[in-house]
Amino acid sequence: MRGQDGTDAATRASTPVAFSVEQLAEVHRLQGLYPDRRAALLPVLHLAQETFGYVSLEVEAYVAALFDLTPAHVHEVVTFYTLFFRAPKGRHIVAVCHNLSCHLAGAPMIVAHLRRRLGIDVGETTDDGRVTLQSVECLCACEHAPMMQVDDRYEFGLTPEKVDRILEGLR
Amino acid sequence: MTAEKILTRNFARADSHTLKAYLETGGYTAWQKAQTLPPAEITEEVKQSNLRGLGGAGFPTGTKWSFIPKSHGGPVYLVINADEGEPGTFKDRYLLERDPHAVIEGMLIAARAIRSATGFVYVRGEYVEPYRRFATAVSEAYDAGYLGKGFDVVVHRGAGAYICGEETGLISSLEGKKGWPKLKPPFPAIKGAFGAPTIVNNVETICHVPHIIARGAAWFAALGTKTQGGTRMYSVSGRVTRPGVYEASVAITLRQLVYDLAGGVTGNGRLKAVVPGGSSAAILRGDEIDVTMDVDGLRNAGTMAGSAGVIVMDETVSIPEALMVVARFYAHESCGQCTPCRESTGWIYKMVRRIVEGRGRKDDLDTILDVARRGAGTTICAFYDGAVGPYVSYIEKFRAEFEALIPR
Amino acid sequence: MPNLTINGHAVEVPPGTNLIEAARKIGVEIPHYCYHPGLSIAGQCRLCMVDIEKTPRPTIACNTPAVDGMVVLTETDRVKETRKSIMEFHLINHPLDCPVCDQAGECWLQIYYMQHGLYDPRMRDEKVHKPKAVPLGPHVMLDAERCILCSRCVRFCDEVTRTGELGIFDRGDHSEIGLFPGTELANKYSGNVVDICPVGALTDRDFRFAVRVWYLERATSICPGCARGCNIEVHVNRRRPHHNEGRRVARLKPRFNADVNRWWICDAGRYGFAFVDDKTRLLAPSRREDGAVSDATWEEAIGAVAGALRRFAPDEIGVVASPKMANEDLWALRRVLEQRGIRRVAFRVPPREPGDEDTVLIRGDKNPNSRGAELLGLDGDGAAILAAARARVVKCLWVFGHDLLQCAWDAAETDAALRAVPLLIFTGTNANATSERAHWVLPAATWVEREGTYTNFEGRVQRFRAAVEPLGQALPEWDILGRVLQALGVEVSAPRAERWFRELAGAVPVFAGLTYQSIGDGGAKLP
Repeated sequence: MRGQDGTDAATRASTPVAFSVEQLAEVHRLQGLYPDRRAALLPVLHLAQETFGYVSLEVEAYVAALFDLTPAHVHEVVTFYTLFFRAPKGRHIVAVCHNLSCHLAGAPMIVAHLRRRLGIDVGETTDDGRVTLQSVECLCACEHAPMMQVDDRYEFGLTPEKVDRILEGLR
Repeated sequence: MTAEKILTRNFARADSHTLKAYLETGGYTAWQKAQTLPPAEITEEVKQSNLRGLGGAGFPTGTKWSFIPKSHGGPVYLVINADEGEPGTFKDRYLLERDPHAVIEGMLIAARAIRSATGFVYVRGEYVEPYRRFATAVSEAYDAGYLGKGFDVVVHRGAGAYICGEETGLISSLEGKKGWPKLKPPFPAIKGAFGAPTIVNNVETICHVPHIIARGAAWFAALGTKTQGGTRMYSVSGRVTRPGVYEASVAITLRQLVYDLAGGVTGNGRLKAVVPGGSSAAILRGDEIDVTMDVDGLRNAGTMAGSAGVIVMDETVSIPEALMVVARFYAHESCGQCTPCRESTGWIYKMVRRIVEGRGRKDDLDTILDVARRGAGTTICAFYDGAVGPYVSYIEKFRAEFEALIPR
Repeated sequence: MPNLTINGHAVEVPPGTNLIEAARKIGVEIPHYCYHPGLSIAGQCRLCMVDIEKTPRPTIACNTPAVDGMVVLTETDRVKETRKSIMEFHLINHPLDCPVCDQAGECWLQIYYMQHGLYDPRMRDEKVHKPKAVPLGPHVMLDAERCILCSRCVRFCDEVTRTGELGIFDRGDHSEIGLFPGTELANKYSGNVVDICPVGALTDRDFRFAVRVWYLERATSICPGCARGCNIEVHVNRRRPHHNEGRRVARLKPRFNADVNRWWICDAGRYGFAFVDDKTRLLAPSRREDGAVSDATWEEAIGAVAGALRRFAPDEIGVVASPKMANEDLWALRRVLEQRGIRRVAFRVPPREPGDEDTVLIRGDKNPNSRGAELLGLDGDGAAILAAARARVVKCLWVFGHDLLQCAWDAAETDAALRAVPLLIFTGTNANATSERAHWVLPAATWVEREGTYTNFEGRVQRFRAAVEPLGQALPEWDILGRVLQALGVEVSAPRAERWFRELAGAVPVFAGLTYQSIGDGGAKLP
């Protein structure tokens, strides 16, 4: 069950939110890179998302304490940026660019194909937790439109067949 | 017009991103030369070169550097804007991936000019591979002793927000906050990142600096027009035969770019419209492409050079649908800080979508035009003006196409 | 000092003054939402545009410091047109629910729409929906759809209280004010966000739907909640007595005073007025004989008190005055004491718990006039008076306001003192355990039912004025004491608070030269 705030009730109860000693050292190192340690907030939130899977409210509060910020200040930041997930996400993120060049090259068709193949709508995660589907703004690879980002990788020149091959590679 | 390749000269090499390749092609020699020059002379050289910012605003780079207060005793920061996000633009991705040391060398020289000991490179969060490539190059530069001797570079990852490409939005984001642009004055050169004087330069802009120092301002200026020197990298996409990055003089015409470099129009082959400088630039009709691509040339044509992201549309493209896509982008990316932008980008998107979906009202087009014009120039940053560019130009230049969708 | 002209009028302002404040100096109001003089500049609402000579387009006044020679025009056609546009932008997604909005009547969207908007609404699409009627904390209710995202409340919590509970989440037209989920807005000054909210987004849970604001009447006053003496307005409802369950005081609002509280008051002060219309109010003089309490007339009560003061030897009389009494009351009391030669007088009764204190406004001393009582020479040893009562030396004890059984003094010892004393007189506004033991109870008016002055901890004398009539037969203490003095044979002329203050100022050197007029609404600092 997903709670109203977008977090998973079971996850909230079971997973203690805490960085390892090594990660805390990394947090400290990141904070030391900047004239004001608050500048390390985005890097540390990235680290938190890698560690805990998504940025739950507990994670926000935990990170806030690492920076002597109020949780509201961290919540402002987390809700502002699109790359922070506030609810559990799939093991893979498939983000299709839907901006102008990709649109001209058939992005709506690619999104429709993915929705059919995955059986989910944009913004949703497959029941097996394999894939979260997104439709996103310009990823700046318009020369290869239509394109999408799959986790860390850019996938170019998409066709339904190519999309199917990519999906097969996602476990 | 396919001038000598400067920024992209090494792109063909598979190892172009490595220090070895960079050194083999004359890398870091400009930095050696710069170290013999007084800082003011470097700035002057860049001024004389007519290098203008290539991120979007087109501000003269040397002039920007000269705004750093001479008497300032505290830290000065150099920030590189690698938050590429302008729809239709992808040049900085190439530079970060294929010539990262050019960015570093440019930073070293700029830092000397503005007396900065610390540089930050803000890479958009989605650019994972470019980030890795660049971070690796930074490590190489530390190992080779280019960095760490009076100048340090911190590579910073964004987290997904177009507005962080706006220079003060970027500063806010770098400081660990929402990417809300800051009120000006004070300008960043006086009070920027962490309250210190700060210069924010685009990736491509900074990559030009070593060449200007190595080969001289006069050489660079001569590559372009009277008011803008050099070449730049055009990102060409949409309905063209060969989409891609093309380096050419800023004096190239849009027609040459579309037909000679990118191989002409696909679709039905007949050009309908071109966005010349990223989605925030006003659209040009197919018969308006005999313009030079420099900052002033496109300004005189009623649009802007912006980030030189060229999006080509053939006659089969629906302009209302294109505007809907663009309007959705601005509604999604408005940071929410200033009322006119926050409230009307969403409303205008709703109106355009209704029109495209066949539910338009007779007065919608005039409402959009009036609302957009009323909001223009009223906000903290240029984001909203960037949205007004397409709102107004798409409707004004293709009004009949919109009207045809509105039920009588 | 920059000299500039605004709408053709020359004005000189201190360096750094922004154009909103500079214009205000010559009576020109530049409309604005996000700007607040007590907060940092946000520049978000974009309403305060003005034309500045040699500037290509209208510029926001809040972020523009006045510069020597600047020529500013606030009413050009271009500025008026821009304001109108900005008003439309503010209202695109606003629910326009004034009839059911508690802010109606004091809403700056309404006010500015009438002054600067007056356009025909064009927004016919579905508006953005956001949370409504969300309690943020004990005092504040949020309607996010009415919010114009001016960020004043966020800046208040960041900059004034430094508690940082609020944020603006998400972005674009989905941006909304809110709390981190699971937390609440419960800092000691939370009510101020309602005051500074220019629209109906943040409303006061205590005041909501109690009275329509256009029925309220206002009186300038001073908060009696602590020694700071924050300047306030008392808003009372007399025109619609059936509203607000008959309570006359509807709310307290801070009143700007640069030297005392600036724009703010604490929640304890803001919501500390319930006693005024409370059931425990003492409404008529009363006597207690053989355990039976019966109402008395003022003549009987005054006669009894004056009689006692005459009957007992001065040394047999103890008076515990109150630092909640006004200077006028304390002076009248001193006249009574001097008339009879009574020496046993004190006003400090230590509280059980030390008073809450902070570095913003809140003082540990929860009395508005301790300094005044000190300056008027009433600072004796209260514990010694009670000890004397226990020892049956003091036979007549007159207590003002305090509940001696609810203080830091040992309750058993106090109880013994109250048992021992043959005559206990109580003067105060509300019943308490001490008043219930009194043989004579003289009901006093609360501070909103009378006028007077308090001297705050810094020695600032400040006036408060009557907002409503005293409840029942209650009288101001100065009036009660004046009647007692008269009954003791001293001629007392025109019974007004001001008369007592004039006498005080003539007699006590530190107050010399002060008048109600010179104190005005801003107060006067004692030398």
